[in-house]
Amino acid sequence: MPAEKVAVIEDIDELLIKKAQRKDMIRNVLPFLGLVFTIVLLTIATHGLLLSGQNLVNIINQCFTTALVGVGAAFVYAYGGMDFSLGPACGLAQIVFIGSFMRFDMPVWVGIILAILTCIIATMIVGAGSHLLHLQPFIVSLCVRSICTGLLEAGNNSMGGKIVVPMDTFGFFNNNLLKTIILLATLVISWFIFEKTKLGKEAKLIGGNRVTARQSGIRPLRVIVLSHLILGIMVGVAACFMMARNGMITSGSGGGLEFNIMIAMALGGFPMEGGAAAKIRSVIIGVLTITFLTNGLTIAGVDNSYINVIKGVLFVVIVALSYDRTNLKQVVFM
Amino acid sequence: MPKNMVDAQNHGVGMIVQEQGTIGNISVASNVFTGRLEEFSKFGFINMKAVTKRAQEILNEIGAGDINAASLTATLNFEDRKIVEIARVMVADPDILIVDETTTALAMKGRKILYNLIERFRANNKAVIFISHDLDELMSVCSIVTVLRDGRIIQSLEGDKITQNNMRKLMVGRELSEHYFREDYECTYGDEVVLDGKQITYGSFTNVDLQLHKGEILGLCGLSDCGMHELGKVLFGIEKPITGRVTLPQLDKDAEVISPSFAVKHGMGYLSKDRDRESVILNASILENIEMPSLNRLAGLLGYISSNSEKKLAQEQIDILKIKCRDSKQRLTELSGGNKQKVVFSKWLGCKSDILILDCATRGIDVGVKAAIYQLLEEMKAEGKSIVLISEELPEMIGMCDRMLVMKDGAITAEFRRSAELTEADIIKYMIGSVESNAS
Repeated sequence: MPAEKVAVIEDIDELLIKKAQRKDMIRNVLPFLGLVFTIVLLTIATHGLLLSGQNLVNIINQCFTTALVGVGAAFVYAYGGMDFSLGPACGLAQIVFIGSFMRFDMPVWVGIILAILTCIIATMIVGAGSHLLHLQPFIVSLCVRSICTGLLEAGNNSMGGKIVVPMDTFGFFNNNLLKTIILLATLVISWFIFEKTKLGKEAKLIGGNRVTARQSGIRPLRVIVLSHLILGIMVGVAACFMMARNGMITSGSGGGLEFNIMIAMALGGFPMEGGAAAKIRSVIIGVLTITFLTNGLTIAGVDNSYINVIKGVLFVVIVALSYDRTNLKQVVFM
Repeated sequence: MPKNMVDAQNHGVGMIVQEQGTIGNISVASNVFTGRLEEFSKFGFINMKAVTKRAQEILNEIGAGDINAASLTATLNFEDRKIVEIARVMVADPDILIVDETTTALAMKGRKILYNLIERFRANNKAVIFISHDLDELMSVCSIVTVLRDGRIIQSLEGDKITQNNMRKLMVGRELSEHYFREDYECTYGDEVVLDGKQITYGSFTNVDLQLHKGEILGLCGLSDCGMHELGKVLFGIEKPITGRVTLPQLDKDAEVISPSFAVKHGMGYLSKDRDRESVILNASILENIEMPSLNRLAGLLGYISSNSEKKLAQEQIDILKIKCRDSKQRLTELSGGNKQKVVFSKWLGCKSDILILDCATRGIDVGVKAAIYQLLEEMKAEGKSIVLISEELPEMIGMCDRMLVMKDGAITAEFRRSAELTEADIIKYMIGSVESNAS
């Protein structure tokens, strides 16, 4: 009798574990399949143009800024935060950069530092501000978004609307080798910090349960400040390259960046609520998927406004499918 | 088989759940009449006055007149919110009532209300299914006790067969040959004070003094709203006291516990009464939970933490505490309450804490794990570690503590030292006692 009983219990344990493994597999494998599916489908739709040599260089260029900002944002999303002001902050950094150079004759390296500082200030207000004032990060980042948008427009107007970036000075930002080196270095370093160091682990633990993390000796403020610092630096660096690639700055520069990041994360299986399941790998897969998708649809001749509609629908569907509801279950009323 | 909870309710089955089952940001009266507000509506308008009046009548009827039906539910404490749920069940007037581990959340007042309700059901020839692990309670309340273990019905007991010993045997599945509580009746601890609270005021308590010694198990007992749970949080630096301070005299006479991170850094650990929300991360793995307070120790150059050192730490703890799991990657959502509690203990054992503050360490846990925890506490005491044990369960307090501080209405009303003669009645007097008895 006792032996039989033990067998039954083992089966139940096994069942639970199998269920969890299945869930993990869906989370881990599905994004891969999504990426492959996207590439195959669009390669057919574009008659192979998607994977042509010239277009692959384009793809690297297009995913460059999203990837940089994406790995930075991974830290913020992992701890359960978010930042909805990235686009305008990125645009503002470009204005600050070009303004310091054209109006105040400052050297380029000072401009780079100023651009990065601008983004750090913006992300820091969102992160530290929302934590210290006990406000939803979404609300704070909307405010910062509004401020950045306003400053970007004012700066842009004061410099005469469309600002053309002098390529003789900033052309080196378009060097593909430089971009590839920076991209690879960023991916390796951020993977190391995110998966292998105290900071990355702490961010994920705070995302899992902030109260528990605090009661276990983790200092949330420290982790939040560092996460937003990393994000700020990444947005600042991305701003410099984006400016050179576009060749001009308008009041709409940087627009849509934060939304692209969010879709990329969702497509890659990065949990929007943060926590232990967050992986840098997911960001990379997601960025590749969204880039191939946008690029492929454009080549296939789909109008840009429809691409945005497709992205929006995709986002809702994926978040609805993948959102982890275990935390919600405990507070749901009867 | 009922399709869902509403279906069950419509067919005369009511339930009081273990978790919080009230909505915080609406009034008590609305909670009492959840799903029944239709009865008070005319032309689509709800007569809230009538709802409040009727709710107050029901609250008065069950002996909870001190709860104001018009007040916002979120302003009530956990216990009163449970009582509101009991009132809701009264309104539904079911034929079968299921009470799931509700009394763990209730102190004397709430328990009395619930027992009266159960008595009334019995008198009206209705049935109550009472789920609990509190053996005393089961003995006094139930007419039939069915013991489950590992998801199977083991045996049902009736009449005078219902004894603590019989139930315990069936629950564990073997004779409890090893001891349960401490067997010695000596009050033993070192001279050094390791945690010193002076004149602490916070929330519902004022000017509390408390000293914890090396190798001591210090009990804090009282009714659930006496302030002992908050005191535990202040001792660990989670809440900042309004006046007074908590220091670690062994470190430095001015080493004040200002935050949980300071406390953890200097060898303290804390187990919350609300384990699932405050002491573990349900969606994270056993490994991630165990390593949480040890991250600083594990981190090397640039904060690098090697996978091997993590795994070693987790596996050690799983072996020591015999946590039932597949491997250290298993998530906490897939563990039983007892095993989750073991994970919390291993968090603090893993980072070698010397001072532990345990708020309801054995709440909602089966007898087997309870016995393991009591044994663990004894071993820790023998190693010279110091423990503050916060609990409402007096047998546990009398069974484990060297000293016991009784709290009532935000003040310490009595101190008891460990002895064989100490009884629950001695302590209860000071937990709920009148002013005269406090004077002694």
